[in-house]
Amino acid sequence: MTRTLKLTGQGLALAAVAGLLGLLVWRLTHQAHPPKIGGPAPNFALRRVDGTGKLDLASLRGKPVVINFWASWCVPCKGEAKMLEQAWQQYRSQGVVFVGVDYHDVASDARTFLAHHGITYPTVQDGSGMIGDRYGLTGVPETYFVDRKGRLVGTHIIGTITNQASAFQRGIRAALQQ
Amino acid sequence: MIAKVFAVAAAALALAGPASACAHPKTSLSYLEGQIMCPTCHTTLDMSEAPAAQQIKAQIAKRISECWTAKRIEDELVGNFGQGILAAPPHKGFDLLAWWLPLGGVLGGALLLAVGVWRWSRTREPEPPEPDEESDPETERRLDELLARLD
Repeated sequence: MTRTLKLTGQGLALAAVAGLLGLLVWRLTHQAHPPKIGGPAPNFALRRVDGTGKLDLASLRGKPVVINFWASWCVPCKGEAKMLEQAWQQYRSQGVVFVGVDYHDVASDARTFLAHHGITYPTVQDGSGMIGDRYGLTGVPETYFVDRKGRLVGTHIIGTITNQASAFQRGIRAALQQ
Repeated sequence: MIAKVFAVAAAALALAGPASACAHPKTSLSYLEGQIMCPTCHTTLDMSEAPAAQQIKAQIAKRISECWTAKRIEDELVGNFGQGILAAPPHKGFDLLAWWLPLGGVLGGALLLAVGVWRWSRTREPEPPEPDEESDPETERRLDELLARLD
């Protein structure tokens, strides 16, 4: 009886330690790694903020895509909104698609932001920030460029495009060239 | 001084606005600030001054002024930000584990401790009896002799 009890206790303790170790291994192996330039752009299918339904990045395969992460509470995002809209108007005839990803934001505030700044390109909502995490986002705004094959190209822009206009142009050209 | 008076009056008006929209608020901002997380800084709202936290606080204040209940406000925020916006996991489904596992751990530990103490008390060897000095005849005899000499 005593021996059985002792063995049961030891078994339970071992199982608990093994479980904790398993959790640690799972956490380490499932950590999000930022995508590499030249590698595939993490896919997403997110709810539209500017309309109904979802937008699936995979459905844009074959088109160069500019992905801009932003939020209505982000002050620098207001500064680059006009330039993004102008660039969208400039490049849309060449088949470039702009996608705004509204990060950790209240949807109604995001819609107010879009209306205020006259943004007309599609915008999706990443309320939980899961997609931002997959892209290795360090904050907002950040901008990525995706070529026709769905690969990340150019230089990932951290901060506003207004301060990095040449990198922004190079990114769009890189997306168009592939 | 006048500027300060105007600032206080403006603040009072700002507070009075929402209050007039809902005569009997069903919850409070201070309560919900402890229940909701700031999505960018991973602390509760009451611990954060981040822009995202400020925005959510404003949203909550607006809903309170519209007489929304805490549950309804939390549901809206979960719909917007996902379950991670809640400081505590909900009491249903898989999330129940987060509530029951610690309790189970504490109860299991207490049970193990009780069994251990019980076993320890049962298996403890009895202490050897103390020597009965009075029953030693030799010592008694010598003591009597010593006492007799003193007399």
